[in-house]
Amino acid sequence: MTQFRKGQHVEVYRSSKDENWEPYMMAYIGSHGIVTDPDTVINHTDSLIEVSLDGHGTHRLPQDCLRIIEN
Amino acid sequence: MVLKMKQSTCPVSESLQFIERTLAGNNLQTSRPRRIIEDIHLLLRDVASGRAGEEHLPSFDSLLDELRDFSETPAIANIVQTLSHSLSSSREIYISHVDTHNCATGDCEKLVPAPCQMACPAGIDIPSYVNLIAMGRDEEAIELIRRDNPFPWICGLICTRPCEMMCVRGRLDTPISIKFLKAFSAEKAFSDRKYRNPKKAPSSGRKVAVIGAGPAGLTAAYYLALKGYGVKVIESLPMAGGMTMVGIPRYRLPREVIDLEVAMLEELGVEFNFSTRFGKDMNMEILKSEGFQAFLFAIGAHGSYNLNIPGENNFLGDISAVEFLRKVAMGERKPPGKNVIVIGGGNVAIDAARTAIRLGAEKVTLAYRRTRNEMPADHEEVDQAEEEGVHLSFLTVPTEIIGEEGKVVALKCLRAKMVSRHGSDRLSPVPTENSDFLIQADTVITAIGQQIESDCLNSVETLQWSRRNTIKTKMITMETSVPGIFAAGDAVTGPATVVEAIGGGKRAASAIDRYFAGIPQPTLPPVPKRRARTEWLELPASSKMTLKRPEMPLLNLERRRITFQQVELGYSENTAREEARRCLRCDICLRCGTCVRVCRDQMGIDALQLGYFDFDRQDPTDFRATGERCILCGACAANCPSNAIQIVDRGNERMLSLCGTILNRQPIVSCDICGTIMGTARYLDYVNEKTNGISRANSDTGAKCNDCTRKETAHSMADNIALR
Repeated sequence: MTQFRKGQHVEVYRSSKDENWEPYMMAYIGSHGIVTDPDTVINHTDSLIEVSLDGHGTHRLPQDCLRIIEN
Repeated sequence: MVLKMKQSTCPVSESLQFIERTLAGNNLQTSRPRRIIEDIHLLLRDVASGRAGEEHLPSFDSLLDELRDFSETPAIANIVQTLSHSLSSSREIYISHVDTHNCATGDCEKLVPAPCQMACPAGIDIPSYVNLIAMGRDEEAIELIRRDNPFPWICGLICTRPCEMMCVRGRLDTPISIKFLKAFSAEKAFSDRKYRNPKKAPSSGRKVAVIGAGPAGLTAAYYLALKGYGVKVIESLPMAGGMTMVGIPRYRLPREVIDLEVAMLEELGVEFNFSTRFGKDMNMEILKSEGFQAFLFAIGAHGSYNLNIPGENNFLGDISAVEFLRKVAMGERKPPGKNVIVIGGGNVAIDAARTAIRLGAEKVTLAYRRTRNEMPADHEEVDQAEEEGVHLSFLTVPTEIIGEEGKVVALKCLRAKMVSRHGSDRLSPVPTENSDFLIQADTVITAIGQQIESDCLNSVETLQWSRRNTIKTKMITMETSVPGIFAAGDAVTGPATVVEAIGGGKRAASAIDRYFAGIPQPTLPPVPKRRARTEWLELPASSKMTLKRPEMPLLNLERRRITFQQVELGYSENTAREEARRCLRCDICLRCGTCVRVCRDQMGIDALQLGYFDFDRQDPTDFRATGERCILCGACAANCPSNAIQIVDRGNERMLSLCGTILNRQPIVSCDICGTIMGTARYLDYVNEKTNGISRANSDTGAKCNDCTRKETAHSMADNIALR
């Protein structure tokens, strides 16, 4: 699992198997965004993290659907 | 002309393009159906451009019904079927366009929300309020903010500001200080006595109970009260605010700020029951017997995780950060100890450490098991903590709390090293054997995470919980598994941010309203609403480029170490207004790149250095560069889909501006003979070059328009013939 930090550019590259993944989030696959609030307490891989997606708003997503985009 | 063409994914935009193709074709011969379709076209254009009202969609329905009478013609039958299908399958999106004046996909080009507004979990119309501040229209600014966020002052001081992270200005240099400007607006409004509630709707006779007076519960209470619902807020603490009151220290968020903003809810008639614990002092049966018909659980995440190490909870001086900060918020002023260790690396750990300093601890150490780079806390908070004297101990893994005579005396730790595990690029701290060491301490404060204290909801047996021990909800509507029960805030997301809680509370209020009205709930996230269309401010390109984001003035260090006075002192009025003028007005300029492409590829001039358009890749931007090559031909303005870039003649000058930033201004050349405006000298030179000097309109002998040149040539030729 990747470690996410605030400010990183990420991509929603696949759907998630997490129970928090809802059907409307399928529209976000392929979109790019910025991590705006990672787990700011313990940095746990299972935490939902806040991501602002270009054109799709800000959502708290499971980490398994995200990957870092190298600038 | 080159226009950006892309495959539309917005049903409104698709329908509009379909109708336009239909009208452009020759299939509609009979006049009445054509007339109906032209009317539909007008309605669709209104919807797609933010000009539609509440009668538009019913009218659209009526016109389709009328058109159906002509369905014996296959072409018309196809039109009716296509539009009916679009309207019925995507009616929610049409309604959203009408209500919000925004298009979520960005296909309806005039309706694309600015990235900052899109990023805000509360959907605040940021460009509008920033521009209103720039113009000195502060009362309008605060009124506009509160349409989407009832707590601008709280957020203006502590928001995590996803908007600033998405701010397009940040691609040039630094993002607009959206958060600080919000605080400025709220403070000014309170100071000027202009911070007012909007008018509330007449009483609906229905009552909603909100359990939890944190940001989510209070936000829902505010919007429900405005809609005319009777709202009672049940809160176990003796005051409102939730984690904003008992989790965020006063040097970041003064209590008066919370009290003043919460008082606005009391003014709307929201009733508060403090020191009342749901599940003990209050329950669903009592609330239902009092006439409450809908419920919102917004109980937050006030529990703490344990370290699970030997000695934990055995000794005096061992306390969780949540409990520590709560006690201080409630008035505790004794120093926690002389020698304090805070375990953790997040914002709560930093808050606890800085609070311990202010209470008089002689030494405060923050023990974190990873390195500074992995620390999840805000870097600004970490920097301020170090300035105030907090010592940071990295790669430190606590293994045992050591106590004597019932009190903490030390924390036993191991040194860690960061190791990447197989199949992961995540570095993990691995304790190094035989690297034990002791940190002397009389107080250990653990800040390793918060969790929901769900016991109070045990009586709501059918309520479903997620595997993370959060209340399971649909995130769009905040509905739980129980009809009539909604949930929002940290109780749903886990520990998250204040602005997310506000967004959730707002969605919950909207869903509760629909629940009572018996209308379907939305299936897509809300599109933020365009609250105003404000004119831009003019600024020369040089000013636009050179204005810098101001530093936030801070309280001096000595006072920071010994008092809970607010550390960030706020912007002065001049600073705020100037900062607001740096905004690029992304609510108007869609960053489609058409102007750049037209100038570079069609005109061959390449005067526009606007490299900030793309989210993923930025090239250099310099507004000042336009003046070097631009010929003020107007091709960019003629092709701009949103009129963001404009050419205007003012006096004897022609100006090119982008959302008010004056990119170029040149004197206009007029015909010496008839006075007709011909353009700028550069433009005339360009034309001359392209026409191989066939007609030199602007020469050393003066400027002549084509008509005058033709007449002069004709006269000259006639004179020559006469002479022969």
